[in-house]
Amino acid sequence: MTATHANILATAVGPHLFWMTSRAAGIAALLLSSLSVCLGLLMGGRLLKRRGPDLRVAHEALSLATLAALLVHGLTLLGDGYLHPSIGDVAVPFLSGYKTIWTSMGIVAFWALLLLGISYYARTRIGAQRWRRLHRFTALAWILGLAHALGEGTDAGQTWFLAMTALATVPAIGLLLARWLGSASNGVIASNPTARLE
Amino acid sequence: MDSHEPSNRRRPTGYTPEQLQARALARTRRAAMRRRASRIRRSVAALALALFSAAFLGVYAQLASGHDPALSAAARRRTTATASLSAQKTSETAGTSSTASASTESSTSSGTAETSSTPSAVTTSQS
Repeated sequence: MTATHANILATAVGPHLFWMTSRAAGIAALLLSSLSVCLGLLMGGRLLKRRGPDLRVAHEALSLATLAALLVHGLTLLGDGYLHPSIGDVAVPFLSGYKTIWTSMGIVAFWALLLLGISYYARTRIGAQRWRRLHRFTALAWILGLAHALGEGTDAGQTWFLAMTALATVPAIGLLLARWLGSASNGVIASNPTARLE
Repeated sequence: MDSHEPSNRRRPTGYTPEQLQARALARTRRAAMRRRASRIRRSVAALALALFSAAFLGVYAQLASGHDPALSAAARRRTTATASLSAQKTSETAGTSSTASASTESSTSSGTAETSSTPSAVTTSQS
């Protein structure tokens, strides 16, 4: 009886295997990238200053895991029998006819994350200060990816997906806002030193 | 002559015992840091695999139980199209037949029954 059920399920799911794998990889990428953004923002703050080396290793490993999940997310779509996308459709923005804007957002986010991620290994050539400025755009790429997931994701309308996404992204968004607002107020103080005294 | 030789002749490494001790301590700390880093990397890899597996199982369970959002939407579209097609056919038949009202009612009810059917029938249509 159980074997029969398993066979029925396998037959039902078989044609969707690539699609399911892509969805699962996309969800994993969203969670891993949110965690990585959180750690990255914590590294710059004063909250966990003493755990710096550990945080850096975890941030790097999470970023690499995100990139791997994103590669699986895009490459497994090539095997989907329903969409039949070409390599160009999943790698070049504005080429796919399926939800073009949302798909392009995801593709741009992937390339940005990939380039900004691997630029870490060339930061001595780039220059630490310049690399640090460049690395801030990672948050923008993450927001693009989040928009892609919410706008195009198959499960985007599901309560469990929204709850899970909120759980993973709200802390990162909070830290990001704190960083931006902190930088803005620091900028005000830097440009007007008397503002500190007021 | 011997008295002018540097004192580190007795220590071929050129370090004082304190320096050697400090170097050993640094080596130990570096090794501990490397061990901790590899443990963190392994943990992150395990976390990534666990997240992927959990997401895959969730999607699988959703699909197998007939609650997949994409397939349910496809099922709704299909049943709506079928229902409207059958209603159109019925109205055409009603136009030629004298028992028009009875025929329309029966076909509308069959359309509703199709709408509430399980999405498992649509699983093949998605692929």
